[in-house]
Amino acid sequence: MILSVALLVPWATGAVLVALDGRRRAVGWLAVAVLAATFALLAVLTAQVLAGGSQEVVTGGWPPGVGIVLHADMLGVVFALLSVLVLLAATTHEVLAGIEERVFPGLVLLLAGGLTGLFLTGDVFNFYVFFELAMTASYVLTAYGGGRRQLRAAMVFTAVNLLGSFIFLLSVAGTYRVTGTLAMLDVGERMAVVDPNAALLIATGFFIAFSVKLGLFPFHFWLPTVYAGSSPAVAAILSGAVANIGAYGLLRFGPTMFPAQLRLVGAAIVVLGAVSLIYGAVLAVARGDVAESLAYSAIGQVGYVLVALGVGGPVGLTAAVVYSVVNALNKTLLFLAAGIRGPLVAGAFAVGALSVAGVPPAAGFVGKLEMFRAGIVVGSVPLIVLLTLGSGLSLVYMFQMYQRAFWRAPAPAGPASPLPLRLLTTAVALLVLAAGVWPEPLLAASGRAAEGLLPGAAG
Amino acid sequence: MILAFALAAAVLFGSGAYLLLKRDLVRVVAGIMLISQCALVTIIGSGLTRGRAPIAVPAGQAVSDPLPQALALTALVIGLATVALLLALVHRVVMVFRTAERDDLAAGEAEHEAGLEAQRQADREEAS
Repeated sequence: MILSVALLVPWATGAVLVALDGRRRAVGWLAVAVLAATFALLAVLTAQVLAGGSQEVVTGGWPPGVGIVLHADMLGVVFALLSVLVLLAATTHEVLAGIEERVFPGLVLLLAGGLTGLFLTGDVFNFYVFFELAMTASYVLTAYGGGRRQLRAAMVFTAVNLLGSFIFLLSVAGTYRVTGTLAMLDVGERMAVVDPNAALLIATGFFIAFSVKLGLFPFHFWLPTVYAGSSPAVAAILSGAVANIGAYGLLRFGPTMFPAQLRLVGAAIVVLGAVSLIYGAVLAVARGDVAESLAYSAIGQVGYVLVALGVGGPVGLTAAVVYSVVNALNKTLLFLAAGIRGPLVAGAFAVGALSVAGVPPAAGFVGKLEMFRAGIVVGSVPLIVLLTLGSGLSLVYMFQMYQRAFWRAPAPAGPASPLPLRLLTTAVALLVLAAGVWPEPLLAASGRAAEGLLPGAAG
Repeated sequence: MILAFALAAAVLFGSGAYLLLKRDLVRVVAGIMLISQCALVTIIGSGLTRGRAPIAVPAGQAVSDPLPQALALTALVIGLATVALLLALVHRVVMVFRTAERDDLAAGEAEHEAGLEAQRQADREEAS
């Protein structure tokens, strides 16, 4: 019940709000309220899933197999909760700063609806539909601000990601061809008896589609232009909420639908992740612009998620979930803080910087700890050296950025931003600290999510 | 029949990829459109079965698989919407930049690079 309502609320209000003038304060605050309500609904849903296991709803009362199946398990609700939280922070930021374009609140709600839907669906094709809903909203959001750089960013983002979407669709067609079903759990069962070549080809298609969304190393070329070109709130939305599609997709499709293929190419995935990690970190050190360095940092950070996925097993998958959550929070905090000035902001940015570098008590420490644990489980010395190197480099570039943005005299960006904006950023920073000081809920939820992905689990 | 579908999809994808690499933005859009059509053809080809249309079929008769058709219809609508959006975006780009060439769009980026270089220079002077 809550499952359908959580999906319907942002979608329906988003459709209405698109028609209203979002530059008016009331409309902006309405969007914030709806996002908060969605967040509350998802929190209740999470509590139910934690207590009673995963839930399933077939919409419209159709028999299963005909109607649209919504499936809420731990992994899905964790990602949905995270994405809506990021959207809530970014939208509140933008409402406080003053919305410039009329469609912004409506689009954010539609994006929230699309994201919640794709995290809570149990069907590959519905995943595609929700995915397109979310992506279409984010294509328009990228152009938010309407400047030349934003337009160019939107053009690049749209063209590249549409190509990614069609590769995804081709893989969906392939999946249907070889298994005759599109329900994720059935696909996982039937994939075991499929011709290995076909299965590997389809798995590669999905992998490419999600890597494009995530901005992993060989598919990252679009990401710096887009993150650096779009406005800070939109960059926070793209890196904190939209990029979750890629991480979730890899985690959901990999271990559930293609376990054999994942084992086969596990080493290659670790190597790709490692390359992404080092490449992103080195370029982040080399670039001068804060937003651009953050974009390269994002490429590096998703490398960790991929390494953890390649390691696999309960420890690796838990690390991947924890790291995705922590990374999304970090990036939201940093992009929001980098766009404003004044007292408190530098402190918030420093918390984000420490979190990316993995210094306790920030949340990043928990993520790094899980990564090291995964490295120790596979007993690979190069992997641990690599993780240490990556952390060292991230410390260098984060504080280079900090120095450039906050220590340079005279301050480059003029007067301090309004107090509410600064307070919001501080609140996000406190959340990152809280997740680091009290990591048990995050770790427990991620552990449960990883359990649900492993073969033999009830879903 | 499946071979025909596969060939059609391959030709569509190939031409789409070729157009996607062009400088002119309108051709890029056309390339994406062709690739979206390739995905549709593949979906239809992926569920090719012979039979009557699956509406009120007498019992015992073979029906064609309705699922790929439903998928293709949905994908068609989504493709239409995204291409319309892309065209609107190109229109906006042409209005703002007064050009539909990809290279001219990058000119703004060069300006930004130059600004960054000046900043780095200032950093070095401060350090020395």
